[in-house]
Amino acid sequence: MSWLEVFFTQLSNGLVLGSFYALVALGYTMIFGVIKLLNFAHGDVYMIGAFCGFGALSLVSGILGDTWLGLFVAMLMSMVAVGFLGVIIQKIAYQPMLAAPRLSILITALAVSLVLQNSALALTSGEYTAFQTGLGYGGVDFGAVFIAYQSMVLVGTAAFLMIALEFFVKRTMYGRAMRAVSVDKDMCRLMGINVSRVIAITFLIGSGLAAAAGTMAGIYYGSIWYFMGFLVGLKAFTAAVIGGIGSITGAMLGGLILGMLEAFGTQIPFIGSEWKDVFSFSILILMLVFKPTGLLGKSEVERI
Amino acid sequence: MNKTIKSLASGVVLSLCAGGPALAADDPIRIGVQVPTTGSEATYGTDMFHAVEIAADEINADGGVLGRQIELVSGDSACDPQQSSNAASKLASREVDGVVGGYCSGATLPTLQIYGDANIPFVITASNSTKLIPANPGNAFMINSTGADQAKKAISLFQEKGVEQLAIVNQGDAYSQDLAQLTRDSWKKVGGEIAAYETVNKGEQDFSAVVTKIKSSGADAVFWTAYYADGGLLIRQLRQGGYRELIAVGDGSNSSKLFEIAGQAAEGVLAFSNPTAKFLPKAQSFIDTYEERYGNSPGPYAPLSYDGMKLLAWAFEKAGTTEHGAVIDALSSADGEEWLAGPIKFADNNTLARSNFIVLEGKNGEWTRYEP
Repeated sequence: MSWLEVFFTQLSNGLVLGSFYALVALGYTMIFGVIKLLNFAHGDVYMIGAFCGFGALSLVSGILGDTWLGLFVAMLMSMVAVGFLGVIIQKIAYQPMLAAPRLSILITALAVSLVLQNSALALTSGEYTAFQTGLGYGGVDFGAVFIAYQSMVLVGTAAFLMIALEFFVKRTMYGRAMRAVSVDKDMCRLMGINVSRVIAITFLIGSGLAAAAGTMAGIYYGSIWYFMGFLVGLKAFTAAVIGGIGSITGAMLGGLILGMLEAFGTQIPFIGSEWKDVFSFSILILMLVFKPTGLLGKSEVERI
Repeated sequence: MNKTIKSLASGVVLSLCAGGPALAADDPIRIGVQVPTTGSEATYGTDMFHAVEIAADEINADGGVLGRQIELVSGDSACDPQQSSNAASKLASREVDGVVGGYCSGATLPTLQIYGDANIPFVITASNSTKLIPANPGNAFMINSTGADQAKKAISLFQEKGVEQLAIVNQGDAYSQDLAQLTRDSWKKVGGEIAAYETVNKGEQDFSAVVTKIKSSGADAVFWTAYYADGGLLIRQLRQGGYRELIAVGDGSNSSKLFEIAGQAAEGVLAFSNPTAKFLPKAQSFIDTYEERYGNSPGPYAPLSYDGMKLLAWAFEKAGTTEHGAVIDALSSADGEEWLAGPIKFADNNTLARSNFIVLEGKNGEWTRYEP
């Protein structure tokens, strides 16, 4: 392979990785936007999404088959189920903590993460679950650059979800309400916005997107397990920080940048692929030190 | 008063001294089983535990060892050095008379010292990294052929297949790194070329970077030296990425689960394997018992785990006691007696004195014996 072919191969790999990161990062950033919580359970919501997608697929594969149609329906079912799980988590774990100091709710998020992870561990007894689909390994050859159909559909779906989200946030009533709540919750209440419903919707959408990413990861990689959300959660957090936490466009951009950095960083001669995580987390540290507001975030002035 | 205290005290001392043997007559012999029953390698670990259980039940049904029953104490090593150290400390503190198991060399390594300090006989039934050999205080015995034997088998297969440019991928843990290094060094010695030598992180799902490196290196064979869970992912992504050359995997990936994870992509993949039950002429009744009890087929390390338990029982009988030193001597005196997986005789470094590797090929979703 020439360097140009390596470049295009890694470009496509980076897009796939970036799509996963971006979808999960969106949930991080939206939830941070409305209740100023770093939801460290979000990676585990992604994992639960993968398992729900797996369960849904075994339900519908009898009728719809286990190729594209069945997979799409399974993904939608998982998104809805996990979306509501997100709302339930918010009502049970986060709602009572909203008035408490910020640190308390952060610790609650870690607890939720442990509960989700260990529930999955108990249910699967820690084993890998094979996510079998009827998709083959077909793809298109562009010279030595091979791009699987799966990657194309995956990136396309992720792009569609992101555009839909952008539309929702910019053009609909609840989208506007969501943006307003992220600016000033109390003022929103005075203006007659049902803030707790807006928060619930934010969790619904954020968790749903994570579930979509989880199901797609299951389809793409072919196996799921209870710990799969941990690393992705941290990477998505990194992506959200790169883009500017709280900024939706920033999360998409951050996800893509991180995916690309990992894809290309590991191709530098003499740097093995075991350095992949070092790349991501060095960037997180550099970002936090030099531009904590991220690429698209705005610095907020704290008024006392 | 003084006298009573004295006699009481001496009584206590006496009973403490005599405690072991006096209790021993009717107390069960306790055998620790150190395998991963949770975590990424839980499938293999549980499978090994089942095999040990069958062996122990057979021994107990025949009247036990030295007239005493065998009681198994499980220690979950979780394929993790920290957890396995905890498990080993737990087993040692419960004063087990022997330990069988040991899967994931990285997790077995720190336990050697713990059992060594207590001088507990330890029959290692799966772990086979050569790194275990210098760390062995003398109480551990490896009944699986070591990584060096596997590397030799791998090299001869690659030569047979006309491979020139070899790519090796490991996971950075003791077992897979050891096998990768041994293969790399002996491959270079026979004049082969290493196209790529990569390490991936455990728990990582995305191997696209490695796939691109392998493809651009022009390797005409890939050798994955780590375990099935991630091996399945790598094989899948190699095929997804359009790599169509030979893929071979080490014995840690020789599991039927590999086909579930990799699906179609695992067709034609070659695996090195220690003797699995399916390919052992004497194992039919063992397979039947296993399937009847657990509802699935015994996995790759089941026969060795079964042998490990039987060998330990044999050593207790031969020593005529459960005293650790005597049992260890008895184990090292094993002289080619026939077991389920073949004869056992130890070399000076307590490893099996012969290679027991065979080559398997993935065909129609299962492993079959490879016919060149």
